[in-house]
Amino acid sequence: MDSIFLHSNPDPAPAGDGPLRGLKVALQPNLAAAGWPAGAGSRALAGYLAPEDATIVRRLRQAGAMLPGYTRMSEFGWGLQGSEAGRALREHAADAELVLDLAGESRVAAARAGACGFKPSYGLVSRFGLIGLMPSLEVCGVLAGTPAKIRGILQAVAGQDEHDFSMADEPVPDFAPPKTKARRPSLGIVTEALDLMSGEQAQAFRDLQGSLARSGFIVREVSCPDFPLFALVHRIIGSVEASSSTGRYDSVRYGPRAPGARNWNEMYLQSRGAAFGPLLKRLLFQGAFFQFERYEAYENACRIRARLLAAMQRLSAQADVLALPAGDGEPGGNPATPADIWAGFSPTLFANVTGQPALILPPAPDGARPAIQLAAARLQDARLLAAGEELLDAFQGDS
Amino acid sequence: MDFEAVIGLEIHVELNCPTKLFCDCPNRPGDEPNLNTCPTCLWLPGAQPRLSQAALEKAALVCLALDAELQPLSAFDQKVYYYPDLPKGYQLSQAHQPLARGGGIELTAESGSPRMLRIHHIHMEEDVARLVHEMEGRRPISLVDFNRAGAPLVEIVTEPDFRSPREAMEFVKALRTRIRYAGASDCSLETGTLRVDANISVRPRGSAEMNTKVEIKNMNSIRHVGDAIAHEIERQVAAVQTGETVVLHTRLWDPEKKATVPMRAKFAGPCVPDPSVPAIELTADWRALMRARLPEMPAARAGRLATQHGLTADESQALSADPEIAGYFEALVGGDVAPRPAMHWLLTQLLPALKERRLELGASPVAPHRLAGLLRMLARDEINANAAREVLIEMFSTGDAPEVIVAARGYQQVSDPNALEALIDQALAANPAAVADVRNGQGKAMGFLIGQVMQASGGKANPKIIRDQLNRKIDAAG
Repeated sequence: MDSIFLHSNPDPAPAGDGPLRGLKVALQPNLAAAGWPAGAGSRALAGYLAPEDATIVRRLRQAGAMLPGYTRMSEFGWGLQGSEAGRALREHAADAELVLDLAGESRVAAARAGACGFKPSYGLVSRFGLIGLMPSLEVCGVLAGTPAKIRGILQAVAGQDEHDFSMADEPVPDFAPPKTKARRPSLGIVTEALDLMSGEQAQAFRDLQGSLARSGFIVREVSCPDFPLFALVHRIIGSVEASSSTGRYDSVRYGPRAPGARNWNEMYLQSRGAAFGPLLKRLLFQGAFFQFERYEAYENACRIRARLLAAMQRLSAQADVLALPAGDGEPGGNPATPADIWAGFSPTLFANVTGQPALILPPAPDGARPAIQLAAARLQDARLLAAGEELLDAFQGDS
Repeated sequence: MDFEAVIGLEIHVELNCPTKLFCDCPNRPGDEPNLNTCPTCLWLPGAQPRLSQAALEKAALVCLALDAELQPLSAFDQKVYYYPDLPKGYQLSQAHQPLARGGGIELTAESGSPRMLRIHHIHMEEDVARLVHEMEGRRPISLVDFNRAGAPLVEIVTEPDFRSPREAMEFVKALRTRIRYAGASDCSLETGTLRVDANISVRPRGSAEMNTKVEIKNMNSIRHVGDAIAHEIERQVAAVQTGETVVLHTRLWDPEKKATVPMRAKFAGPCVPDPSVPAIELTADWRALMRARLPEMPAARAGRLATQHGLTADESQALSADPEIAGYFEALVGGDVAPRPAMHWLLTQLLPALKERRLELGASPVAPHRLAGLLRMLARDEINANAAREVLIEMFSTGDAPEVIVAARGYQQVSDPNALEALIDQALAANPAAVADVRNGQGKAMGFLIGQVMQASGGKANPKIIRDQLNRKIDAAG
């Protein structure tokens, strides 16, 4: 079996002595750590050494975290094929993992690994030094055993960054542990998300819903009839953004060059052709199609996105947190297609489209209870993590 | 059939900000190749753009100088195309929500009536890298210099209001003057801080149709702008008359051949909103602040110079065509030089002398206070005009103060009639024929006699005193 880390940090001891002292946080090679081979899972970046730390990495070091190394990831983090997200946690080589969440990868990987997976609000953590693919959809997610550990990491890394102007000038949620126990949060079950599940999965979720109600949670059903449109919007906007963001991998300044080209133009074209894997290429073809041939579809997707955002805000007003099934991600086995990814991640895509925070709690180890996904309005990250803790407490009480 | 041209301009102006548009690298494209680069302008993985406040301010001043309306909300888009001069596969530009809309410049048409040439919009964008194709022995190599990548530009897109090469040239001149006044760019077509592209189509005169246009580039002087447009109009008219179809494409002006040559199909790539650069919200307060910071524009300055210093409209406009010239003039006048000699010496002596030495006024070795000193000596009759011209030439080479040069060279003018008497008597005695001619009313002979005295004085005599004395003595003797 392969080593857990694609790149092991020879010197994982922290420089700082802070609140994360001794916590081992594994990174994906799409987060720049000075001098590390930040290949982002792509041949396009083979041999590329990050020139400086990403803001998240710098803040982790300052907070005293240990950084054991880079884990294996899918090409640019899209989908989980080729990814080993969650393995370092499972094999106790890390206490937490940072995993890019473009479609739900950090949340689904956590559920698979029996851990909690959290996608923060968009704009809450810096993108400086993140080698991204879909800049308006993706955010660095956190995998850890408990919401409390996730809270500690967010406390260390969240907030304004002078290197990232795209972060809105807005208050950062207070991630300090809640001092008093609030009343049990009300849960809004998004019914349309259940329609995406198989009968068996939907039934398991209904059972969980019942047991939560019995545990004293106020559970009500809420409705977002447009929920199936999230996949469509994600597909168009995500593929267009991916097509744009990968344009920089031209092999001129770094990355492998195709040999044998007779002039720069040939070198350029051949290198780009050789750089990307088949799954990513299919995604990029889709993006280029919408960009060059169906621009109006892209504009429509942007308009629908605004409508979906408003719809989810209305739902958030109807309950403290929203509850949805977790989904399985794309099916195992090769090769996956872009369509497999959008289908497999259909219950998690909404949070990437709206930028709201989402948390997946793992299934019961014996499989008696499915994973559950919670979501809250943007910047309600601390409240969402607190609600997650309450649910986990209730599950403990049940078993 | 009689044809008319329909012309629109796309004008790029490189802003003279200290740093690039999205990073802190020095905005000095001419430095040693790839010296002024960082992870952001090389667009290394993980880089994030940070919009320069200084560039935004200068761009806003350009908009206001051209009477365009700053938009409360503008945003950057990704203009997608793949080329090695573009390190991330797209150019950050404002395609959908530009910084400003409207505006324009009113010119005087050849008929003498005012003619408004309108601007459609003005947007900000980043410059691209410079490509150099060379031979390494027998092997062709291509080099990329990223010093210019990310340099701050504004692009001014006009309405297709222009009908002649002259209108385009006049517009570019007026635009250049205004932007120089705004202090936002030196606007040099020669060095490429001002780049003019023209979109040209032709149609039967009187028709309202818009035919397929051709884009022309690579004009690096105002004259080339006029020549290239005139040539392209001729080419298209000839093509239409022979039944050829004009296709959308880009042509380069070749100033040697005085012809445009085809370059490529005109680029029209998609533009998608960029999620990394936040939208720009300009508050009413900020816009008012920028308007207050906009320096006096050329027309206002010409009007002021005319009233304050009693100059004609032509004179004040000539002085105001360049803010450096107007500033130099005002410095001379501020140094107690009368307006008209100040203007005369600046336009007919200093500027030609600078041009001969290929110097800009801003780099003049003769500072305004030094020239003012010289002109004050001239006004006080301490030196004569010939001596003043000699002193000016020496000021160029030595950089010395005029008083120092006048003293060292003994240029002080001799105005004392007693000191000149002996020289005058000598000239009269030596040239009886000329004296006779003067008596017979021949003006030329007087000039000759003055010249004789001047020569004898070593060029220092005051010509007015010589003339007075000569007249007095010739009259007295007759």
